[in-house]
Amino acid sequence: MSDINVMEKERTVTINPLKTCQPLGAMFAVTGIRKGIPLVHGSQGCSTFVRYSLSKHFREPSEIAVTSLHEDAAVFGGRKNLIEGIINLALRFKPELIGVITTCSSEIIGDDVIGFIKTAQQQLTEQLGEEKSKKINIIPISTPSFVETHLKGYDNALNALVTHQAQPGETNEKINVVPGMVNPGDIREIKHILGMMNLEAIILTDTSDPFDSPLRPSKAEMLPYYPKGGTSVEEIADSANSTATISLCHYASSGGETLEKKYGVKSSIGPFPVGIQNTDEFLRSLKNLTGVKIPEELLDERGILIDAMADLSSRYLAGRKVAIYGDPCMTAGIARFVGELGMEPSVVCTGAKSEEFVNEMKTVSREIGSSIDVMVGQDLRALEVYLQENPVEVMMGNSDGRLIARYLDIPLVRFGFPVFDRVGYHRNPIIGYNGGLNLINLLTNTVLEKIYEPVTHWKLQQ
Amino acid sequence: MPYKLFDVSKEIPERKKHIYVKHCSDPKEDLPHCNSKTIPGSMTERGCAFAGVKGVITGAIKDVVHVVHSPIGCTSYGYGAKRYPTTPDLPNGEKFPIPDFNLRYILGTDLQESDVVFGGVKKLKQSILEAAKEFPEANAIYTYSTCTTGLIGDDMDAVVKELSEELDKTVLAFNAPGFSGPTQSKGHHVGNYTLFENLVGTKEPPATTPYDVNLIGEYNIDGDLWLLKSYLEEMGINVLSTFTGDCCHDEICWMHRAKLSLVRCQRSATYIAELIEEKYNVPYMNVDFFSTEYASENLRAIGKFFGLEEEAEKVIADRMAKVKDELEFYKEKLQGKKVFIFSGGPKSWHLSKPLEKELGMDTVAVSSLFEHKDGYEKMKDRVKEGTLIIDDPNSLELEEIIEQYKPDLILGGIKEKYLVHKLGVPSIMIHSYENGPYIGFEGFVNLAKDMYNYVYNPVWDLIEFEENPNPQFNDSITENVKKAAEEESK
Repeated sequence: MSDINVMEKERTVTINPLKTCQPLGAMFAVTGIRKGIPLVHGSQGCSTFVRYSLSKHFREPSEIAVTSLHEDAAVFGGRKNLIEGIINLALRFKPELIGVITTCSSEIIGDDVIGFIKTAQQQLTEQLGEEKSKKINIIPISTPSFVETHLKGYDNALNALVTHQAQPGETNEKINVVPGMVNPGDIREIKHILGMMNLEAIILTDTSDPFDSPLRPSKAEMLPYYPKGGTSVEEIADSANSTATISLCHYASSGGETLEKKYGVKSSIGPFPVGIQNTDEFLRSLKNLTGVKIPEELLDERGILIDAMADLSSRYLAGRKVAIYGDPCMTAGIARFVGELGMEPSVVCTGAKSEEFVNEMKTVSREIGSSIDVMVGQDLRALEVYLQENPVEVMMGNSDGRLIARYLDIPLVRFGFPVFDRVGYHRNPIIGYNGGLNLINLLTNTVLEKIYEPVTHWKLQQ
Repeated sequence: MPYKLFDVSKEIPERKKHIYVKHCSDPKEDLPHCNSKTIPGSMTERGCAFAGVKGVITGAIKDVVHVVHSPIGCTSYGYGAKRYPTTPDLPNGEKFPIPDFNLRYILGTDLQESDVVFGGVKKLKQSILEAAKEFPEANAIYTYSTCTTGLIGDDMDAVVKELSEELDKTVLAFNAPGFSGPTQSKGHHVGNYTLFENLVGTKEPPATTPYDVNLIGEYNIDGDLWLLKSYLEEMGINVLSTFTGDCCHDEICWMHRAKLSLVRCQRSATYIAELIEEKYNVPYMNVDFFSTEYASENLRAIGKFFGLEEEAEKVIADRMAKVKDELEFYKEKLQGKKVFIFSGGPKSWHLSKPLEKELGMDTVAVSSLFEHKDGYEKMKDRVKEGTLIIDDPNSLELEEIIEQYKPDLILGGIKEKYLVHKLGVPSIMIHSYENGPYIGFEGFVNLAKDMYNYVYNPVWDLIEFEENPNPQFNDSITENVKKAAEEESK
């Protein structure tokens, strides 16, 4: 039997969401820009809650500005707040890029963000002169909170960045990679793979250093503090001249599509390179797009993961049921890998709706030869209720499910965003063969600790 | 010049009136300007009114369902935001059937574009009905307006009135959309008034004693309440209601039956104490339990009120015996360490003096996100000459303070913590703590211990790579190289 059973939300109310609103995704993307600052046009909660969430997960600073909308703005509009906000930020922080991110309130008020940005730019030119003010790029990013999810916000930000910043010029033979909302460890793994293939890349945007920065006060940029790294404004401009764009996630493909339409940069989407087959496909598509060879060293890394799978999966993992939840892109990738380990991803659950996700789960179901319950546009409470009736041996997902796992007494292997009750998860990849190795270790050690150790500890003697 | 403008804020000179350097001879009115709107784009650490009501006041209650009427973000962020643990114990001796209920679930209407256009009332009604069905155990349903619902003008009061009757269960609406008021303080205010006006005086407690108190503004952060409760109970005092740490919905309904209200967090909860005093003649007393000295003083004052002076002395003596030696150790270690306290509200005035007096530290600066004038008066009162008092410091100012005042430690929030670390200074989370509780006698030792563990952690001495760690050796090499170079040039 190989089929999927799509289960849609049966309630109106959402209980323990598996998603958040658009602005977070945009703030995430802008943080990956060298000297880029997100400026949220909304209430203070819109920046503070996001900073709180990002700092909880990454244990890093998260410098996000806000226009502090209050009652007067609700009545008269946020013009004054936005213009003043841009100018204050530009003068005091001297950023290279400000991403103006809208919210539910500024969208409902109906502020003319593009017009206000122009006025602010004119005033900056008067204050700083043409040359200095030109260096501060100000990009409008429309992210109404009541449309779709944070993943759409990330996509909208990426699309706005390339739409406004990409500049055609000489071809650069680089490859653009849109990684999606992944961890620093994942971006570093992508760079490692590209490095082994001798490919130069423009990562749109590179959050690896900003969200995992060295503590070196002697080298840090202070007053204002800017984290190391990030994609430079020049690199974003140069993305129009690359050979191709690979967007690892379906939800984050608009930027690549814009570059294709406007500048003829080939656009390729997915799959999210988790596990063997998805990573293989990623390497093949890199090869097809650029013509480079896949080096032996990389295939040796693949061999090490295969070795671990051969050693561990039949003995400890095979046949065990797993529940997986998170964003559609990562969840689909993890489900396929779990299938490659001989485990059974019996239920997968996402907060965002996604057709591609459903299709990818059909593929996984065919591959593993058993049915999968696919919960789309659902929430964590629905998964909890489901698991009460249909137990599994392992759960995989973010820390928001930690109390559900605790009270269901199911061990939880963490991945995705946010993970705040364990450490190191932002630093260790899940992407690529090395990410697979990390995941199989996490899964197996969890099974050994939670399933073997308490009941049949003698099996661990050798 | 009592007011100071930081270099990093020269482009926003309005900031000057928010930053005051204490001079004892200054008139009493010289205080930082406060509780006013933040300058847009200045990188504030402040939050919104919704955070103030759900994140501070109501989120600690153990037996109610929260329905956030918003696009999905506010619901996601309202989930388990704070560390306020609860026990399942209810006042009637029963147990609430779902443990950790307040940390486990958050509900929301997940408003879409069509709701914004056509109104969200229908969706809110349906959501409340479903909430009641999903969690029939819950003793009340609290709903929250947000920026979106404030702007589109959904009449939540009408909805909750209708559904309270239909469900025969209390359904409340907290009207504190994110944009209202300059800080989260507006949300505290709305939370107090909504709970007072709708609940207090509507139920009677299962039993009363002559020693019943309301413990107001105590949210049980990391178990603070449980420590305080143990002191009070040992004295023979009964905590009839807490507002709102580890409390249940009904406790709020019978707050009017206490003999005395004790106000712990005087920023977020004095409102309800005053309202109860005004309407029900229950007097209130401001209390401060941070540090051994304030805890002792305030237990004595409570003892005096109830004629339980001896009992108070017993508790004080017992706890002092337990913590004295440890505190001595930490005082020796923390002596002279410079500290900057950046709290949300009152902890800046709670802690400034105890850190100096009981631990020998040097409080170089205090600041707050959302304090009002009365809080800054207390702050000014308790700091020494020359201490900086800052309202709503932004992150650039934070950097300049570190550069100028070189604190050995900063007590702040999670948003500031990692920035401070990047600048090479340790930082402790003072809103929700590191390894609390931090209140009372044992709590003060926990705080001292965390401060010691941060300040003395070996990492701060290992920050930079030393190419030549032995300077003598280093010099001799340089000399030798010089000599060799000189000879070569000959």
